[in-house]
Amino acid sequence: MRRYETIFIADPDLQEEAQKDLFKKFTNLIDQEKGILVDFDDWGSKKLAYPINKKPRGHYVCMTYGGTGELVKEMERLFRLDDRVMKFMTVLLEKDVSPEALNQEIEAAKEESQPEKEQVATEPEADADANAEPETSEETEEEN
Amino acid sequence: MAFHKNQKKRFYQRRKVCKFCADSSLEIDYKDAKTLKQFITERGKIIPRRITGTCARHQRVLATAIKQSRTIALLPYVGKLG
Repeated sequence: MRRYETIFIADPDLQEEAQKDLFKKFTNLIDQEKGILVDFDDWGSKKLAYPINKKPRGHYVCMTYGGTGELVKEMERLFRLDDRVMKFMTVLLEKDVSPEALNQEIEAAKEESQPEKEQVATEPEADADANAEPETSEETEEEN
Repeated sequence: MAFHKNQKKRFYQRRKVCKFCADSSLEIDYKDAKTLKQFITERGKIIPRRITGTCARHQRVLATAIKQSRTIALLPYVGKLG
């Protein structure tokens, strides 16, 4: 089994339901093709370095998973067909990983996130804000 | 002769150290646009290693990371013109 990382940029103007539907489509696909989803990271709407489909913003999603080349092939085919996905990129992280190691990683991530939830519930939000704000300010600086 | 000597002195420069060798905790990641931005010009070109001092191995990794980053629009292909 190989370990891949796929980043795709979804249309930022989607309704929440359509967005959920889109994400589900690809997480389901990983299950169907006997892949293991390790991490699903939603970066939210970010400013793009250059416009894609005449849009200045994009909704970034980063998935880390274990799977075969067939899974990647099928996923990229569906990305191309789907209008809601503006751009995507898949990177090979590891050539050979055992499914057990991936499952262990998921377990470890779960254990880590659960106790933290009570204590540091507000922190992720603060982080997201901090990440979003400097970007816009940098842009304005460059323009000046 | 005197001129030559002066010139030699003028070109003396402290040796630059590779950022990634000096700090092994720093990793080159195509998702980390902020770090990569230090290695591109305002126009978006990759800065040669003779200027940044990056070692050959890390420059290679860095170049691919910047190119991957451009693909998913985290870094620009062409920066601001003019």
